[in-house]
Amino acid sequence: MAAPIRVLTAVPICDGHDSAINTINLEFIRHGIEVVYMGYHRYATDMVRAAIQEDVRALGISSYNGGHVEFFSEVAALLKKQGADYIKLFGGGGGTITTVDAAAMRRKGVDKIFFAGTPLSEMVDYVHQHYGGARKRGGKAPTAEMKLARKLTEIEDSYAGGKRKRPMPNAQRRMPKGKKSGRKSGTRVFGFTGPGGAGKTTLIDELVLRLLNREPKVRIAILSHDPSVVGLGALLGDRATMINSQDERVFMRSMATRGQAGGLSPATEDCLQLLAHSDFDYVIIETVGTGQEAMPFQMGLVDKTVLVMNPDYGSRLQLQKIVMLDLADIVVVNKSDQERARTAISEIERRLDQNKRSQTTVSTVANRHRDAGVDELCDLLLEKR
Amino acid sequence: MSKLGRVVEAVENYNQFVLDEVKRARSDKAFGKKLLDRWNEVKANTPIGTAPTGLKLPRLALPEIDEAGEIARYLLGEGLPGEFPFTNGAYREMYLEPLREPEEGSYGKNGRNGKNGKNGTKPAPKAEQEEPTRLFSGFGLAEDTNERFHYLTGHQRSARLSTAFDGPTLYGIDSDAEGVFGKIGEGGLAIDTYEDMVRLYDGFDMGSPSFSASMTISGPAPIIMAMYIAAAKKRFGPSVIPKLRGTIQADIFKEVQAQNETIFPTEASLRFLCDMIEFTTREMPRWYPVSISGYHIGEAGATPVQQAAYTLSNGFAYAELLSKRGISVDQFGPRLSFFLDCGLDVEYIALARASRRIWAIGMRDAFGAGPKGQMFKLHTQTSGRSLVAAEFKNNLTRTAAELMLAYMNGTNSCHSNSADEPFTTPSEEWIRLAAHGQAILLDESGIFKHTMNMLTGSPGMKAVERAVEAAILEEFRQIEELGGVLSAIEHRYQRSQIQNAAHRYEQQIYDGTRPIIALNKYANAKEEMPEVEMVRTPRAKKQLQVDRLAKFKKKNAEKAQRALDKLSDVVERGENFFPTLIETVEVCSLGQITGRLQEIVGHFRPMV
Ligand code: B12
Repeated sequence: MAAPIRVLTAVPICDGHDSAINTINLEFIRHGIEVVYMGYHRYATDMVRAAIQEDVRALGISSYNGGHVEFFSEVAALLKKQGADYIKLFGGGGGTITTVDAAAMRRKGVDKIFFAGTPLSEMVDYVHQHYGGARKRGGKAPTAEMKLARKLTEIEDSYAGGKRKRPMPNAQRRMPKGKKSGRKSGTRVFGFTGPGGAGKTTLIDELVLRLLNREPKVRIAILSHDPSVVGLGALLGDRATMINSQDERVFMRSMATRGQAGGLSPATEDCLQLLAHSDFDYVIIETVGTGQEAMPFQMGLVDKTVLVMNPDYGSRLQLQKIVMLDLADIVVVNKSDQERARTAISEIERRLDQNKRSQTTVSTVANRHRDAGVDELCDLLLEKR
Repeated sequence: MSKLGRVVEAVENYNQFVLDEVKRARSDKAFGKKLLDRWNEVKANTPIGTAPTGLKLPRLALPEIDEAGEIARYLLGEGLPGEFPFTNGAYREMYLEPLREPEEGSYGKNGRNGKNGKNGTKPAPKAEQEEPTRLFSGFGLAEDTNERFHYLTGHQRSARLSTAFDGPTLYGIDSDAEGVFGKIGEGGLAIDTYEDMVRLYDGFDMGSPSFSASMTISGPAPIIMAMYIAAAKKRFGPSVIPKLRGTIQADIFKEVQAQNETIFPTEASLRFLCDMIEFTTREMPRWYPVSISGYHIGEAGATPVQQAAYTLSNGFAYAELLSKRGISVDQFGPRLSFFLDCGLDVEYIALARASRRIWAIGMRDAFGAGPKGQMFKLHTQTSGRSLVAAEFKNNLTRTAAELMLAYMNGTNSCHSNSADEPFTTPSEEWIRLAAHGQAILLDESGIFKHTMNMLTGSPGMKAVERAVEAAILEEFRQIEELGGVLSAIEHRYQRSQIQNAAHRYEQQIYDGTRPIIALNKYANAKEEMPEVEMVRTPRAKKQLQVDRLAKFKKKNAEKAQRALDKLSDVVERGENFFPTLIETVEVCSLGQITGRLQEIVGHFRPMV
């Protein structure tokens, strides 16, 4: 099977018209396309950085609040400047984009504008015809970030194409702990898992904000996962929520599970190894929010495992079944401002006591600005081993 | 059970009460007679007007019933216009032209609110006699929009302005911010400082009873509101504040659900909003500090029932929030107003009627509101999304049909979209036709000006009303099950429902289930994108806005820092920040204030 086409979609700065793009995203994923969605009110620079990191085939922009000639041109120029114009630029904006505008935009490097009244099927077909098939990159020498992004694509695609079935042998994998890889004194890898709705994405983004504030030269990689729709594409929407992670010191990659159960993709392990070797200070990996019957991370894959839960995980009976509670290093009870939080925390602590390991619980309210619980989690993660 | 659950119960109980009263009217002779007497009295007291053709008509039409049970069903179930539960209208004599000469009947002493008095016999019309026409406009810089305002209202008795802001303003960003230059003055006007606000309403008497301004902005609403007050103060002195009339949208819930302009975390946004409401209900008794809006929900693709259900439930959630804040329902109730969409789907035959009824019952029985707090005061806009680019002149017909529906539903004010809606902020040619469309319906035609209830109460309308009400209550139950409005928002409930509906809507267009004339039916295969005059803001103007801002910032550089620090202190201490904000805007720009507040409370984290 050929690897699914990956595209990135977004709505420009000062524009919240997301209805069209939401519909188009849904239509794309129903036709096998993987969509990394950045959301609305997004800067050109962030879009371009994301497109490069995600190594998508094309960047689709939906613009309604005017200034589209300027905005699309800015994006095209940025892509070109970075030697990334192998990523095609397309989009629409209903009737606000005239044929004259579209011609001007094409001259600036925009591949295709879809006018008002275009059937959805026409856009899907266009993406399949023009952004599928073999890829020509050409042009300038790629930057380190581009190289990394491309390698990740190669890994992902080799699994999708059936060329690779199992992760790479150990020999090619991570350097021994403590050994310096490049200029960094050892990359730390944090694995985040937990049920859907627990607030993992928000928590990670808040953590990233703190790391960025504390360490001006820090470099962070994030590997985030979203489920593929059975047999179809996927909507990879974490970038829309992770506002702090759209930063030049952060390398973020969104992956679809592509049919694998357990919250990760078949290519995750190899991709994670690659990132762990790529001069980042921190690598953060987030699983899909799935059931917690098993440990998603293979032994040695991450340095610290964080299980994120919210207070209404259900009855205590279920608590017994959560295998992750035995394996996690840190258990975060997020949304701890909820009514049930206190009971939940003491139940979880009692459960952890049975394990007789040095596991820690932290209560957070990740969606609260400057939450002290998230500060505490950050300290815990940075603690020297 | 949250308050929304109580509202569901209240409506169910009320419906049962009506059925019981119908039975009682039939069995209890005295009660039946009382009803019949009332009915005959209402009929006898209804004044009679004369159409230009000489035809005489009662100014209020009533169903032809003379049986006590049916009378009970009508009077209690839907109510006369201006009476609980307000199904037929918030006021009694909406849109009617004043009686020209003394006629039979005794109207005049106790009659209510003719919303559309004709021909300005008196120089200064009563507030209730203003035109319902309120056209949304804004483009370029303040002075461009000011000119458009004068153009639109020059011939009217009253100036009812409705202000559209550009993208940077809607997101609380300054015109000199990175990457926004192209957006300055597009789709609305640019406001960076209160000096822009002074220019915007130049030449209008902001304290006059025939002037009112509506401002369509929510994310940074308190800052913009403060600028409005500062501008009015600058021009007319502090005594103008209690006289200010108008509306600011300030609806955070629908921003999170559909319009996507929230700039602070939801909780902080709500806190700032309540600060503002607390101030305006106290100091500006004629101001509507929140316009609970379904329009954006509808335009984002929600079905009409979803639109009404989310809007009403948002309204009840605000009522709950304000009560918790210690403001009494009699204070805030009358200051809440609503804004709905009106498209071509069949639900719109009765959507506003059903909404008015649910609101009234809910506010009375679940919140204990008095009559003024039960009234669902409604602004309607015809649907922009129903207007298409293909053979766009057809949009005139679509809008005309929607206007009919809006007025049949007794809207209190209305915006009609221009035919060039799919392309651009309207150009003068098309906005003129849009305004005329309303005048043709209300002034020229005899449809609405002679008789109230002219087109209400048909069996079809009643059927839609019942079905819509039941469906709205069902939606309420869903939201209640998720723990109420705020919790449902957190679950992405409203957003995902709206997005799915939007996808289905587009699919239906392209699979032909939804005929759209000239697009998928009777389409002209040859037509390319039509050529339309585009309203765009020239580079030089954008630059002018940036330069003005630079001057303002330079002039106030020192004071700004101090003012921002003072504002921070107030916010950190948890006090009401609004009175201080009115001072801050005198020396700080919109973006400076937003930036500082975001440092304290954080940024809004968008949802997919
Ligand atoms: C829906 C809508 C809204 C909703 C948006 C809800 C939401 N969450 O999206 C609401 C009511 C909230 C809204 C608000 C505003 N709106 Co508005 N809105 C519209 C409206 C009616 C329809 C747009 C739409 O979604 N159409 C449905 C899509 C599916 O169809 P389409 O537009 O024809 O697009 C087709 C193609 O172009 C293509 N396409 C589009 N994007 C993309 C992207 C990619 C990648 C691809 C492949 C294809 C593609 O797909 C579609 C199917 O064929 C238009 C007018 C109109 N009738 O078009 C105004 C319009 C876009 N809005 C406008 C304005 C000004 C605003 C406001 C700024 C008003 C204000 N001052 O407050 C605000 C700003 C909102 C914000 N947060 O930014 C103006 C823009 C004018 C301009 N640029 O000069 C318009 C044109 C109306 C007007 N004439 O004034 N709006």
